[in-house]
Amino acid sequence: MPAFTSTRQVTLNEVAVNCDVRISSLNGPACDRLRDLGFCEQMQLRKISNGRNLVCTVCGAKMAISRELAKQVLVSPVL
Amino acid sequence: MSAASEAPSTVALIGNPNSGKTTLFNALTGANQRVGNYAGVTVELKTGETFTPHGRKLLVLDLPGCYSLRANSPDEKIALDAVTGKLPGTAAPDLIVCVVDASNLERHLQLALQVIELGLPCVLALNMVDVAEKSGLRLDPAKLSEELGIPVVPMQASAGKGIIELKQALRHPFPPPSSVTWLKNGDDSEETRRNFIADLCTLAARRPDAQSRTFSDKLDSLLLHPVFGWIALIAVMFTVFWAIFSFASVPMDLIDAALGSFGGWVEGMMPEGDFRSLLVDGVIAGVGGVLVFLPQIILLFLFIGLLESSGYMARAAFLMDGVMAKAGLSGKAFLPLFSSYACAIPGVMATRTIDSAKERLVTIFVAPWMSCSARLPVYFLIVPLLLHENEGSWKQALILFGIYALGTATAFIVARVLRGRLGPDKSPNHFLLELPPYRRLQWSYIFRHVIDRAWSFVKKAGTIILGLSILLWALATYPKTDSKDPGEILAHSAMGRIGAFIEPAVKPLGFDGRTGTAILTSFAAREVVVSSLAIIFSVEETDDDEETRSLLRDRIAAATWPDGRPLFSPLSLISLLVFFIYALQCLPTTAVVAREAGSWKWAIGQFLFMSGFAYAASLLVFQGGRLLGF
Repeated sequence: MPAFTSTRQVTLNEVAVNCDVRISSLNGPACDRLRDLGFCEQMQLRKISNGRNLVCTVCGAKMAISRELAKQVLVSPVL
Repeated sequence: MSAASEAPSTVALIGNPNSGKTTLFNALTGANQRVGNYAGVTVELKTGETFTPHGRKLLVLDLPGCYSLRANSPDEKIALDAVTGKLPGTAAPDLIVCVVDASNLERHLQLALQVIELGLPCVLALNMVDVAEKSGLRLDPAKLSEELGIPVVPMQASAGKGIIELKQALRHPFPPPSSVTWLKNGDDSEETRRNFIADLCTLAARRPDAQSRTFSDKLDSLLLHPVFGWIALIAVMFTVFWAIFSFASVPMDLIDAALGSFGGWVEGMMPEGDFRSLLVDGVIAGVGGVLVFLPQIILLFLFIGLLESSGYMARAAFLMDGVMAKAGLSGKAFLPLFSSYACAIPGVMATRTIDSAKERLVTIFVAPWMSCSARLPVYFLIVPLLLHENEGSWKQALILFGIYALGTATAFIVARVLRGRLGPDKSPNHFLLELPPYRRLQWSYIFRHVIDRAWSFVKKAGTIILGLSILLWALATYPKTDSKDPGEILAHSAMGRIGAFIEPAVKPLGFDGRTGTAILTSFAAREVVVSSLAIIFSVEETDDDEETRSLLRDRIAAATWPDGRPLFSPLSLISLLVFFIYALQCLPTTAVVAREAGSWKWAIGQFLFMSGFAYAASLLVFQGGRLLGF
């Protein structure tokens, strides 16, 4: 189960594993780097695993990012 | 003037890491650059030549992968400078080929748009269309070309498909630069680009609605699992090392026997004299003693090639991030350090993928402490001696494991201390790593890479080691004396005199002048110590398996101090091992460190620190052991 209700934005850290979410905004110093890697607004992603670093699939690529970076990715559920 | 006589145009290949630039570069130029299924295999610019279908020569630049034209790491900076013509000694490109992974277009097009906006003629190489189609992506290259305003060539570089079409697109005159329709009124915001890409992908690269679990996903659920993932990683690492030590013994024995027979044949063919002695005791004993380790080096590079090409290396880096963090490093330092088990030179070069400059310096500093393959000859000589048995027992394997563990643990501790002292980076760098899909192994590239490394090892044996072997033989032979006693002959020779001179410095470590001389000769290349000892203890090659090494061990075991005590006690052997675990005895590594760290000060500092550390550690082991009564 995702850890958010249908309208609230949460960080990628808080999303449950195997959930599909949409990136609603990026907020933090590493925004540009994240966008270069495909973490752009409106992109759909799936969280694959939790842990020290998260794994998620974004536009067909599997990326491992630190929790610090995931904190800067705000997501909302796919409607 | 004919087209062929004009100066060749320069074509640069640019793209995200792991988009297949080097595979394409190899296919275009017929070159043999190393490729791997791991982001950041290419860390420096490579150049090659190709011809258009009309016979016009093109200079091709293979750039390191980058995610955007905002350079974050040193390898990305090289790519940026190369496309903008700011790289010294490299011509600005006349045309850029943007290599994109078709299965990953949303992301790869971001860099492609930035490159197209530079205003140079561009061609989009839509690589890996097979993977994209397999994942259900519906591609429309004609639509992509229309919207981007540049030629788009669908291809599968790994299978050589689309290469001819790409060459057609590179023919003169080059296509005109795109009119960049997505930027209106000079607006170059990221958002405009993103919206354009999203619209373009809806039109020309539609994804299936439901995300299906691919083979990679299924395998990752096991290999990235917090428990099974670790079991798999340990099993893989164990298999690699076990295979290196067990499989290599058969070809090693064959090489050994062949060299022995060759030595015997030369001895039988020539009359006794200095020249025969030079060939048999100097050249064959010296070079042969090192060449015998070729199978192990081939196996180590083969396994690293397999791990990289399959895509597993990135998973290992992901798992190791937590462990590396304890040393103040990140998972990205894993590949450079793991490669250093084979050879510190590719290891140091691989640090270019590390974003943080300080983490990179620390990784370069400790990389030579990961026991490299050149240390193996030394370990294989000393470890059986320590146990008074021949090669190949499990106890020896355990000691070897301990040796690797000691080097690695020290590297981690020093990295942690050094990282703490260097302080935090100006801008924080967080761990991020692409986990590429598992791919079928590209055997031809793996084999070519292994042959390449093996050849460079053989070349080293034929140059540095051959030269030093001849020098050592001369030092151990001249000036001559009338005495027939080998001990007296050696004491009278130049080598004996050097040994006597340096003996006071090495005696506290438990070594005599002869061992000291052998160590001294190994500062240019550590594996030379085996040849040096073989020459100093005048061991001849034999035609029996392992007999040469075992003969050398017998000689070393029988060697004594002038008062009759055995030269090597278990304690002094451990002291010698410890010295070789820690000392940085490799001139090529020091040269590469100076280049990569950008300062000779750092390289010389590393050399002095490691040599000093090795001396102190050896001293501590020997003197500490003696105090404890060993």
